[in-house]
Amino acid sequence: METGEKVNRGLKALEERVLKQDLCAGCGACLSLCPYLRSWKGRVVKLDDCNLEEGRCFGYCPRTDVDLNKVYEGIFGKGYEEIEVGPVRKIMMARAKEPLWTKKAQTGGVVSALIDFALQEGVIQAGILTPRDQDLLPQGRIVTSRKKILGSAGSTYVSGPTLEALNKGPWKGRERIGIVGLPCQVLALARMKTSGLEKRTPIDRVDLVIGLFCTWALDYKPFMAFLHERLDGRPVKKLHITPPPERILEVTSRGELHRIPVDDIRPFIRSSCRVCLDMTAELSDISVGTVEGREGWNTVIARTAMGQDLLRRAKDRGVIETRPLPKNNLNHLMEASLLKKRRALNALKEKGGIEKAYFTLPANLIKRILSEPREAMP
Amino acid sequence: MFISKDPFNVIIGGVGGQGNVLASQILGEMLVTQGYVVTIGETYGASQRGGAVMSHLRISARDPFSPLIPEGQCDLLIALEPVEGLRILDPYGNPRVMILLNTRPIYPIDVISGDSVYQEVSKVIGKIKELSRRVWTLNATEIALEMGDPIFSNMVMLGALCAIEVLPVSRKGFESVIRDLLPSRTQEENMKAFDRGREVVQELTPQTFLPP
Amino acid sequence: MSSISQNAPGKTVLLMGNEAIARGALEAGVKVCAAYPGNPSSEIIGTLAKVADESGLHVEWSVNEKVALEVAAAASFAGLRGLCAMKQNGLNVASDFLLNLNLTGCGGGLVVVVADDPGGVSSSNEEDSRIFSKLGDLPLLEPADFQEAKEMTKSAFDLSEQLGLPVLIRSVTRVSHARGNVRLDELPQSGPKPGFESSRRFLAFPAAPNHRLLHERFDRAKPIFEESPFNFYRGPEKPELMVVTSGSGWMYSWEAVMNLRVQDRVGILKLGTTWPLPERFVLKHLKQADRILFIEEVDPFLENNIKESYAQNCLDLGLKAFFGKVSGDVPNVGELSPEIATRAIRTLLNVPYESRPADYALRAHEAASELVPARALGFCPGCPHRATYWAVKAALALDGREGFVLGDIGCYALGMGPSGFGQMKTMHAMGSGTGLACGFGQLGRFGLGQPVVAVCGDSTFYHAAMPALANARYNGANFLLLLLDNSSTAMTGFQPHPGTGLTATGGDAPVIDLKAICEVLGAHVEVVDPFDVAATIETLLRLLQDEEGVRVLILKRECALVSAKHQKRLYRVEVDQERCLGETCGCNRLCTRIFKCPGLMWDKGTGKARIDEAICTGCGVCAEICPGSAIRKEKT
Repeated sequence: METGEKVNRGLKALEERVLKQDLCAGCGACLSLCPYLRSWKGRVVKLDDCNLEEGRCFGYCPRTDVDLNKVYEGIFGKGYEEIEVGPVRKIMMARAKEPLWTKKAQTGGVVSALIDFALQEGVIQAGILTPRDQDLLPQGRIVTSRKKILGSAGSTYVSGPTLEALNKGPWKGRERIGIVGLPCQVLALARMKTSGLEKRTPIDRVDLVIGLFCTWALDYKPFMAFLHERLDGRPVKKLHITPPPERILEVTSRGELHRIPVDDIRPFIRSSCRVCLDMTAELSDISVGTVEGREGWNTVIARTAMGQDLLRRAKDRGVIETRPLPKNNLNHLMEASLLKKRRALNALKEKGGIEKAYFTLPANLIKRILSEPREAMP
Repeated sequence: MFISKDPFNVIIGGVGGQGNVLASQILGEMLVTQGYVVTIGETYGASQRGGAVMSHLRISARDPFSPLIPEGQCDLLIALEPVEGLRILDPYGNPRVMILLNTRPIYPIDVISGDSVYQEVSKVIGKIKELSRRVWTLNATEIALEMGDPIFSNMVMLGALCAIEVLPVSRKGFESVIRDLLPSRTQEENMKAFDRGREVVQELTPQTFLPP
Repeated sequence: MSSISQNAPGKTVLLMGNEAIARGALEAGVKVCAAYPGNPSSEIIGTLAKVADESGLHVEWSVNEKVALEVAAAASFAGLRGLCAMKQNGLNVASDFLLNLNLTGCGGGLVVVVADDPGGVSSSNEEDSRIFSKLGDLPLLEPADFQEAKEMTKSAFDLSEQLGLPVLIRSVTRVSHARGNVRLDELPQSGPKPGFESSRRFLAFPAAPNHRLLHERFDRAKPIFEESPFNFYRGPEKPELMVVTSGSGWMYSWEAVMNLRVQDRVGILKLGTTWPLPERFVLKHLKQADRILFIEEVDPFLENNIKESYAQNCLDLGLKAFFGKVSGDVPNVGELSPEIATRAIRTLLNVPYESRPADYALRAHEAASELVPARALGFCPGCPHRATYWAVKAALALDGREGFVLGDIGCYALGMGPSGFGQMKTMHAMGSGTGLACGFGQLGRFGLGQPVVAVCGDSTFYHAAMPALANARYNGANFLLLLLDNSSTAMTGFQPHPGTGLTATGGDAPVIDLKAICEVLGAHVEVVDPFDVAATIETLLRLLQDEEGVRVLILKRECALVSAKHQKRLYRVEVDQERCLGETCGCNRLCTRIFKCPGLMWDKGTGKARIDEAICTGCGVCAEICPGSAIRKEKT
């Protein structure tokens, strides 16, 4: 790029570099900001051209020119340093105590319990979760009741434009907000907070971000087309991927259980996931995932003072119970996280080199991720 | 009063929907009743949908002429819109041409969308003045809006035409033609519009108009 | 009180060419008049419809031109005089009947007026209809001015009865839509009673003997045309250059000769009876000049026919040089103009000519280039088609499979341009969009994964798309048909049609319900109001997913110009200057930059959008789409 040349940082660049490259994560950060971007069946579409030189769509997108150091600095006050699983104040195993949360959830039910707790305590007045609509289409929704939280529980292997709900509202104007999101969505939220562009959406009222661990997510439209064909058009009620070594996608439809090898659905993983550097949603207040080999429990990472405080209060009030995370599990987690980062960096190389790419990271960090074996946490 | 040359060529030009065709018909009828041979050529149809429209009137004491005025031969241009006036002068204007101009712009779609520019109206009028012998102006659309409907602007222009005494047309002639041509309930308002046009039209002289 | 039917022989009035034709038909005692609207012919039957009751005629808008011609022919078979009018495309539609009618002959005078649109100013194509007279061995007349338009039409009925054949009159825009002085003549008092004589049969079969009979009838026109007052010569006995012309070419040629001051060097042979050629008359004059220039609209019809005649008789006539569309002296596409005639004549005679000082021409051109923006055609403010195409654009983009729109003729054809967001991708004849969709809708089996969408208007549906829809059902084509029902045949002048409940003469008519027809044909049918943008997009998206055969979505909302005539505006619309986001991120001028309704204005000074009260019709659609909710609509 020549110096002095005007570089577009608006919809034009977003279209060229993300939408046309099939790198859209479908996080929803760019939706309901303006009339030119809309999502349908999980796919973001540009409806018309916008000739602004700079726009929030580009500024918020997790796949456009992300200066990771700057973003981490904005959220944590320090740069991108902990390369394994991001900043950690405390890491543990946890599960919800109320059967209400555990029987619906496939793991420890911690996310639902924490959102419910935060609402009850008045820490937040509204949550944004991602329930599935009919035909399993995930949509971001504003949630203020237990019933609605329950409706959003359960694993989702398909990502949806959760953050559209933040932009769209409707908001009364004073609610403190909590959001549950995937790493791409959490990164977008961090960009929204640190971007410096005029804010027309209530990003400053987002006090709580709970991130979900994620290795990949499926692209709704082609995946559902595949399922419909496999099931001869029968409606899909529930999805569940069994843990390794089995790795089968179990599809519940009209009371019947269908089993599809996970390898068959790999073609429907979003291209965007292949360049994602974040398995554990590092920019959250609290990150939550499964515990390998332990059904009924969650791995929970507290990253900020806010997150740590909420977890402590929830534990004290008997909403959740915690145990130390076994060293084995922690090592596996760090290995898996680093592996995802390496894969992403290699995939980015194919897309035009890391310098020209979608993230900027200091070269020494990149070298470390690519070469060094992971270290155990102190 | 007679026509100052034979044939006398008049163009009424504007934007589709301004009542161009009706104005030319009324003017034509006014002249036929006085014994002139009139030929009027129109371009309408698809051009009604916001496009540029023109009526060519050939006025003669003797012969019918072609419905299209030859290039460079317009004697009087009645422009219902400023840039339409300039657009018509390009092929049909000449140093002797006289112009009656409605000064209120109608923006083309390309201008509204930002793909194209509509320059300052005073600049357009200045150029029109440079390219003609005499110019008279009024904001016929504003008068029509004051009366409640922009559709009256063409009647306002016809009133102005009567006042400038370039063609042998009179208030009485206008009144009788529209009585035959238009529904009687519109008679009073059309006469009102006509009279307002007669009152307000003004010639652009070096004293009254400084080009930008 | 209309000029057309006034009983005032000898009075001179200002009439449009089409009105003059209508008057000519009245003076000839026409009884049955039928047409389908088509620019530049619509006013012929339109004018007659206004006086039908007082003049005792049957006048109708038929569903298409073939039926219209059949209606008029029936009158002729029954001994009454019939008139049918159409534009060039209409003659194509009616041609199958016409080219059988020539073989059966007719009874009472039957006149078929075709008004061509040279240059295709208001048409899909450009076409020279005169070829049908040669193709069908039918007499052809071309009026050159308005008096002739009346006289030719009147005499055509007599000629038709003399020959027992329909007579074609070919007009063009510059005659049909121009106005000029016309002297009126008497109107007839009474006419014959109709009756179908069963001994007189109208059978085209068997063709060969009827073809011979046709030639005999046709040949009887020749001596009549040799003496016709519609053909004449003006100029010196032995001109340096002879201009041969017909129709509008006559007025351009005559004025060019005058402006160039070459009346002593150029002669003009003006023909009004163009086919069969008045051969003796033509060749007699041709003999007097060595250089012949043909000036006529669209195709070298006269040019080539006269050359054929010349070739047959050349030994007598000597060598000649012919100039015209074949030589390139006159353009062979587009409309004629005074400049074309002037340029052709002065080039051949080497006469210098300047219509105005060259420096003025330069200055005027520079001023226009600098200051005059293009004025593109677009939908009227408040047009439901703008809202429809807006929804179609969004739905096809969201659907994401590169769906495309097949269209046809009417106001909604402007969907091919920026006003309709460039959505319409094909345009041919009436109903062609639906027909093409029947084809595209079969390509799924070969791997076409793109959704197929056709658009069609309400009037167009009755004209031509109904059979295509039946075909779609019968042959199992898979597409979405958008039926744009604005309750009018709008583009041609808001004529009524079978769905509007009104006849051409303003009487009541049963409504032939579009939805019911589509349902009976077995299509899945839904109805939506295009002004409800969100509902329209949602419905479109849903119907696009359904791949089972043909689905019809009727977009029902009255044409804005028709509404304005009988009801006050829906809403008073205003842009809240505080809330308008203007050029900032979040809007970037959606309403004026993308939606582009002429009722909206962008105020550079304030950086906000505004409503142009002189233009806005109060449909309220912009209020639906404003991203800042800054546009308010109040019910009036």
